This record gives sequence, structure tokens and C-alpha cells, in this order.
Amino acid sequence: MIKNVIILAAVIVTSSTLFAQQYVTKNGHIKFFSEMPSENIEANNKQVNTALNTVSGEFIFKVLMKSFEFEKRLMQEHFNENYVESDKFPNATFKGKVANLGEIDFSKNGTYPALIEGDLTLHGVTKKVSEKGEFIISNGKIQAKSNFKIRVADYDIVIPKMVRKNIAELLDITVDVSLLPYKK
Amino acid sequence: MMSKWFKIILILLALGTLTAALVFKFVYNKPHPDFEEEQAICSLEVEEIYDSYKKNHVLADEKYLGQVVELKGEISTIEENDGLLIVSFVFEEGMFGDEGVRCTFLDNQKQDASLLKVGEQIILKGYCTGYNDTDVILEKCSFVKN
Repeated sequence: MIKNVIILAAVIVTSSTLFAQQYVTKNGHIKFFSEMPSENIEANNKQVNTALNTVSGEFIFKVLMKSFEFEKRLMQEHFNENYVESDKFPNATFKGKVANLGEIDFSKNGTYPALIEGDLTLHGVTKKVSEKGEFIISNGKIQAKSNFKIRVADYDIVIPKMVRKNIAELLDITVDVSLLPYKK
Repeated sequence: MMSKWFKIILILLALGTLTAALVFKFVYNKPHPDFEEEQAICSLEVEEIYDSYKKNHVLADEKYLGQVVELKGEISTIEENDGLLIVSFVFEEGMFGDEGVRCTFLDNQKQDASLLKVGEQIILKGYCTGYNDTDVILEKCSFVKN
């Protein structure tokens, strides 16, 4: 009898957490910024696929490199052709986990600090990354924000000597995604 | 009377300034392509580009990535998100929800695009930025009048 109650309770708990455990967006926003005394360069991509599983903590980003928009066409061309080689490597991905999942109550409104760990693949190179961010939960919507830096050389991206004074070694990356429950 | 050398230096300076100005205008500051005026490299049914990416995204990228393509299809969903007007052609369901072809309109086309209805047949062209394992993405879309 007790065993049955436990099983029943387990089923109820599992099914209630299964409900809306997957949060997604196809319009996540990633911005990168290169700050140099000679020139600031900014690019925006508002078509980032993001999925977060609030039970397992699995967190995935899929980015199309050609969807980054620059103010200047010349920069956009250089970025695509010479730096990230988007014809050869059209996709960037992040596959990881929310490392401090236990500290976040996705069912309760509030702002929670987050630690995200996983593999970032860019320019065909995969690196382990661990970055801080935050989850802002408000009425069933999850906003995930993070700001971190990546070293272009880590991803075998070579900045030609001629323009090295115009492009920072460390790119400032801002992630801002608003996730909604995915209902089948 | 100006010396010969002074004149030559003056002319060189003028030429230099002109070159710098031209480089600034046409190289450094050259405008983004006008995607409404760009010629599409091919004209397809929406299913064709989706199937081709589903089957082999490397081969499909060789054909369509970074190109302006013209597509014909029946609208599945219309949404507005972060200032973007997006029309989708949905073929499957996956972990991110609907899967298919997502087309974002150019700013100057948004007014007309906002009048579109789900189920309507349209022909549009846009800049293909690839396939993210879920959708084929077309950006800077505009209407093709038939």
C-alpha cells in the first residue's frame, strides 16, 4: 500500500514537472562588442535558437553566423569572410547545463544568479566554457542574461596584423534571451 | 608666381584627399546591399529548400548559404518579435517547437507583411543565413510580385 502511494506520488511529481519543463525561443539576442581606442564594433543577432530544460538543466544555443548584423557592410564582410569564415562554419553552438540548478526555483518569480557550463563551438573549434549570468523569472517567462568575454585566438580566429589595432583580442558577448514554455 | 614644385605638391595633395574621400565613401562606408533590388539566384517551393537542408545541410549550404533565394509557399504562422516581423512555413515539430522555414521581412516591407494572413500563398525573396538544425532562416525578405 505504502509502496503504491509512493509510486503514485512519484508519478504525480514527475508529470507535474514534465509540464512546461522545456522553455524555448527562436529569437534570442546575442550581441558582440569589440572596444578599441580607434574604433568600436558592434554586431547583433536576434535569431538565436535557445532551449532550456528546467528539470535537467540542459541549456542549448544555436547561432547562425551570417545572421549577425553590423552597422557597416565592410565590417560584416570582413567578419564573415576573413574572421569567422561563415561559409565554412555557418553555425555556432553552445551545449551545456545550468550548474547551480538547485538554487533556482523556475516556478517562483525572481532574479537568480546562474552558473552555466558547457561546450562552445565557434569557427569549428570547441572549448569548455563556464560563465556567470542570471535568470529572471516572471509569470511563466524565463529571461536569461549573461555578459562574458571570449578570446578570439582560442577559436583559431586570426585577426590580420593590418587591422589588429581596430579589433579587440577579447570580444564582449552579451546574451539576452526570453524563453517561453514549449507546449506540444 | 607659384613654383613648379609647389603646384605639383598641391595637385598631389588634392588627389590624395579625393582618393581618401572616395575610399571612405565606397570602401569603408559602402552601404549594405539593397536586398529588395537583389536578384534571386533561384526560385523554389518552400518545401524544396527545407527538404534540401534536412537531407544534407552541407550540400544545401553550398547552394543557398549567403544567397538571395525566391520562395513560394503557404504561410503557417505570423509573429512579431523584438521588432522583427516573421513569417513561417512549418513542416515538422521538434525540440524548439515548429520546424520549417522562417522569413524575416525588411523594415520597409513590414507594413505590407503585417496584412498577411495564415494560409495565404505568397512569393518572397530573402537572404539565406543557413539552417540551425530547426529552421532554414531567410532574412531581409521582400515580396515578389507576380
